[in-house]
Amino acid sequence: MNILQSKDFLSGVAAIIIGVFVAIVTAGYGFGSPRQMGPGFFPFSLGVMLTMIGILIALGALRSHEKLPHLNVWPYFVIPLAILTFALVMPRLGFGPAGVATVMLAGVAEPATRKLHLLMLALVLVPSVWLLFALGLGVQAPFFDWGF
Amino acid sequence: MGVLESLELGFAVAMTWQNLAYCFLGVTVGMVVGVLPGIGHLAAISLLMPLTFHVPATAALVMLAGIYYGAQYGGSIASILLNLPGTASSAVICLDGYPMTQKGRAGPALLITTIASFIGSLLSIIVLIFMAPPLAQLALSFHSADYFSMMVLGLVAAGSISQGKPLIGLASVLIGLLIGLVGIDVNSGAMRMTFGVPELFNGVSIIVIAMALFGVVEVISSIGKTNGRAKDNTKITLRGLMPNRQEWRESFWPMMRGSAVGTGVGILPGTGGGSMAAFMSYAVEKRTSKTPEKFGKGAIAGIAGPESANNAAAQSAFIPTLTLGIPGDAIMALMLGALMIHGIAPGPRVITENPDLFWGLVVSFLIGNFMLLILNIPLIQFWVKILQIPYRFLFPAIVLLICVGVYSLSRSTVDVMLVAGFSAVGYLLIKLGFEAAPLLLGFILGPMLEENMRRSLLLSRGDFATFVERPISAVFLGWAAVLLIWVIKGELKRKPATAAPQDV
Repeated sequence: MNILQSKDFLSGVAAIIIGVFVAIVTAGYGFGSPRQMGPGFFPFSLGVMLTMIGILIALGALRSHEKLPHLNVWPYFVIPLAILTFALVMPRLGFGPAGVATVMLAGVAEPATRKLHLLMLALVLVPSVWLLFALGLGVQAPFFDWGF
Repeated sequence: MGVLESLELGFAVAMTWQNLAYCFLGVTVGMVVGVLPGIGHLAAISLLMPLTFHVPATAALVMLAGIYYGAQYGGSIASILLNLPGTASSAVICLDGYPMTQKGRAGPALLITTIASFIGSLLSIIVLIFMAPPLAQLALSFHSADYFSMMVLGLVAAGSISQGKPLIGLASVLIGLLIGLVGIDVNSGAMRMTFGVPELFNGVSIIVIAMALFGVVEVISSIGKTNGRAKDNTKITLRGLMPNRQEWRESFWPMMRGSAVGTGVGILPGTGGGSMAAFMSYAVEKRTSKTPEKFGKGAIAGIAGPESANNAAAQSAFIPTLTLGIPGDAIMALMLGALMIHGIAPGPRVITENPDLFWGLVVSFLIGNFMLLILNIPLIQFWVKILQIPYRFLFPAIVLLICVGVYSLSRSTVDVMLVAGFSAVGYLLIKLGFEAAPLLLGFILGPMLEENMRRSLLLSRGDFATFVERPISAVFLGWAAVLLIWVIKGELKRKPATAAPQDV
């Protein structure tokens, strides 16, 4: 089996990437000394430890042959995109359009759902959630905001 | 303050209308999410955490805790009737609960689990009442080095006793610790890992992490798996609920043993809530039973024991959380997060400085469990109906609530974008075997760990020996070392082919 398809090898690599990245970013923060720990002391040490553990995990993968699990690819793209859409539309058009867009987009993650059902769901859900947060909890968020 | 006076204070706090209402809201939401597969109690607690900004600290904790133990109750219903574990800890209940349904004894199984849950919680709460104050007293004498070592033990335990591979669990802890350090360093004023984004100067909110890793990741993995439209052919009447005399007799001692096992396991760090307690209790019952061959075929002891155990563990997990400030699992980490949001520093002083919060919470456990007992039985038909909401309508609502909840934290869309980012990276990491619970523990303990390390080393003039010279600290570090050695030994011994892939 190709080593790049081994779950353990890839998780080791992921740990190494994060560890090295953190070590590089925090190396400039001032290490200080054990007596006077600088802001970089703790994160840099953690980054190095993470890298070492990553190497151990990746080495261990040479013996185990566990395959990558199946990824839920379509929802994996759609759901974060729906959340991102909310963040982008909300300040420009207001809560209503952002909410409807998010519900519709998220719902598409399950392709079998009929669009009309999703629209009905969104039209019920979005105003009630807005009422709950804006009126119930006093979170200031205009329902429509055409002002740009 | 004596136990009686404390309880009196607790009742006075917990019986206010506001706290009763939040307790009711919490246990009801908990029941519902416990019943529903594809949305766990962690996701539910994360979803409701933004609400806690708007209510006092006590009410917030009462509600969040209610979701937790409410979900333990609810989880067993889906397990028994449909062989679908609503929560991880109720997976054990499927083993004997579903066979009982097939034999037509679903009613008694449901009633026994309800009573077992209540007894497990009750016994554990009694232990909590008597154990927490002296433990907090003891913890007051801890120095920063002792705290450091205790946290190290907690984190090593959380990483290595996790479900997956111990080394990856430890890596998850380290990633959590690092995310916890993002923001302004309180000691030097230096910006750390903020990459020039002003919204990151105050660090990443625990709610953002929890929503991404427990809410969004769970939604992504559940789509297409849970069809939600469960067939339900069991008709349960109130009369059909009554267990017969033999069933009563066979479940009494398992409940007692299960409560003891659960209380003990729940106190330990890193034991991941009720699931480990439930599995241990099942093993204990099978071993002590005179008829072990009945297990898996509908033995009532196989549901009474584990059900008591997981509820007992859910309550006793609060002991280290509230007395030492060391959370044992992800839910307890969220509880601590809620405390910190309200400016209460976790640790042994919580009991003495906020007695109304501590005792109010403890008494709310009693009240909440009583509410569940009353809610559960007459509403079983209703809970079964809830199981039939299709997931494809549920998850868009969850996604919307996540967006709104995160936005309401500080009215910042950057937080919402962070959720999208963390969930995109988090899903991949979790699929690779990294774990969210140890990560969250590391996240919440990161700044405290650094601070205690800094303080100890300052006092010892940079001498690392201070961590082994103090006896308390040395004991904690010793245990952590034993765990690490055990983990590494297991890693070396592991045979290549035995690692069974488990897709959750």
